[in-house]
Amino acid sequence: MRRVARVWAWMLLVAALFAPLLANDVPLVARVDGQLRVPALASYVGAAWEASGPRDDRVQTWREWWAELPATGGPGADWAVMPPWPYGPLMERDLANRNAGPSLAHPLGTDDVGRDLLSRMLWGASRALLVGAGAVIVAVAIGLPLGAVAGYAGGGFDAAVTLLIEVFLCFPALFLVLAIAAFMSSSLLAVVLVLGAVSWPSFARLVRGEFLSLREREFVLAARGLGVPGWRVVTRHMLPQVGGLLRAQAALLFAAAVVAEATLAFLGLGAGESWGAILARSREPAIDGAWHGWLFPSLAVASTVWCLHALAAPRPLVSLGATPTARPRPDR
Amino acid sequence: MLRTLPLRLARMVLSLVGITVVTFLMMDLAPGNRAELAVAGGAHDLGAPPRAGSLDLLREQWGLVDPETQRPYSVWERYGHWLARASRLDFAGPGEDPAAFRRRILDALPVTLLLNAVSLGVALLVAVPLGTWLGLRAGSAVDRAASGAMFFVWGVPEFVVATLLLLAFAGGWGEALLPGRGLQSDAIHAMSGVERALDMAAHLVLPVTSLAIAPAILMTRFLRDSVAKAAQSEFVRALRGWGLPESFVRQRVRANGLSPLVTLCGVLLPGLVSGSIVVENVFSLPGLGSLAFRAAMDQEYPMVMALTLLVGVSTLLGTLLSDLLHRAIDPRVELR
Repeated sequence: MRRVARVWAWMLLVAALFAPLLANDVPLVARVDGQLRVPALASYVGAAWEASGPRDDRVQTWREWWAELPATGGPGADWAVMPPWPYGPLMERDLANRNAGPSLAHPLGTDDVGRDLLSRMLWGASRALLVGAGAVIVAVAIGLPLGAVAGYAGGGFDAAVTLLIEVFLCFPALFLVLAIAAFMSSSLLAVVLVLGAVSWPSFARLVRGEFLSLREREFVLAARGLGVPGWRVVTRHMLPQVGGLLRAQAALLFAAAVVAEATLAFLGLGAGESWGAILARSREPAIDGAWHGWLFPSLAVASTVWCLHALAAPRPLVSLGATPTARPRPDR
Repeated sequence: MLRTLPLRLARMVLSLVGITVVTFLMMDLAPGNRAELAVAGGAHDLGAPPRAGSLDLLREQWGLVDPETQRPYSVWERYGHWLARASRLDFAGPGEDPAAFRRRILDALPVTLLLNAVSLGVALLVAVPLGTWLGLRAGSAVDRAASGAMFFVWGVPEFVVATLLLLAFAGGWGEALLPGRGLQSDAIHAMSGVERALDMAAHLVLPVTSLAIAPAILMTRFLRDSVAKAAQSEFVRALRGWGLPESFVRQRVRANGLSPLVTLCGVLLPGLVSGSIVVENVFSLPGLGSLAFRAAMDQEYPMVMALTLLVGVSTLLGTLLSDLLHRAIDPRVELR
């Protein structure tokens, strides 16, 4: 079970990281007027297609350039290497071919304006990865130091942090994200920052609790007795003890962020390439039997959650013994 | 309990202050200068540059400057003014009738309360028997199969479940078995009392199902573990050692395993509210979730602030209530 989850996680990671190189409607490498260009790489920095394409009075975009290419011919002429899957997020609408079921040309079918679903799903994976990883990084950056110092130092600082955690836990995450995302733009950075900002309390609470009990353990007392400075006790002696727990919590948080992002996009407050947005747009076609439009994005979100939860499980997924060791934490 | 209750209440008041500060700062600091935005937006709509006095007027209306001296208020002054109005339950924006504003919230509140109460009830009805039953059989084949099944259902997000239910039962594929929009049929006025209740129940089936799945699984797992733990404890061996009948022992195990469930109900509240936003949106229910969603989309700051405060405070009260209940049920529990 864990092995399946690990393999799937790696596949999602590769798909997400290399989506612009795997599925794109601009060439990986192209020679234009004697110059080598790498337009697909430009997707990583978000450059507009037209801006990175060749510009003269005959051709406007890479697509048109590509269509005219065979005509130029001859030795030393322009050439291009296309990505393995030659469809990108800004591909043209193909209204004659909309809501087509899976076929050899489009293994996952097409969406409601005839765009290839496989490439949209790949780009959705990279969106999910960005949001999930970003939210975890922000949450760890806030929650880990606060929780660690509160648990180690105790006293007034601990009381203040505990109160702050309690206050933030009173707000439902999705509600806050919705409120803030609507006021700020629904840009990637805003969604990441907000998701991280609402999920740090669970991290801080976990670390604080662990550090409270670790503080009384013999090896920590020994280190402090030997005169090891406090920051070193925290980072070198106590932090490694909670590594596994932190990784598990990070995986759960990652899954929650992916779901929250997809939910926002489903409600209409996110980027179009998100899995949630694909599902939202396929609701109408699904009534007329276009099952692939909702099945694949739903499976993508659910399988991401499954594999992250399986990797986070502290014990074998199905406990064999009769004694449960850990109480399930309600994850938020 | 009487000794620790004041402490608990004092902490709650502090949390309450914290909630108001967070709510206020979030809305006050995030959008930048509201008056300028409003004027710029209005000018854009009219296609004309803003008139000289309009910016000052809007600043006054939004409470950003002192009306007498035109001195800009500091953040904390604005917070104080907002809090003073909030304590009178007056959250309306400038140029809006506070009573009408309250009316909008009060009209939506019952829908969400009904939806969440029924969902929580259904979740309890499923989770309590199932969780205790599985807990008493911890480690068996049934238990393992149930754990696996719950793992997979737990991973499916609410919006996927809601969409699927809508497609499957509300006329997406084949006959519409159940209504999928709103809370009442159009022909409600021609119905008798019983018919109305049945009509509403039919409208609630799909939303409640999508909303109840997550808490039901959470509670079942929690109960299964807590009952299994109780079954392992010393007192059970003692009871068995005295030769008491197995049914009696199981009853004690159940009672011990069930009591922590009360605290979980308080924890579930924020999740239910988040779920309401999705479910009310998909099933077009006129509740707080829809209200919050529309307010966020229309950038209606006063409404979002009021609802955020409402949700935060009710969660705080829910947590306190469940802690007190737990203490009442299980005298060994200490209130922190």
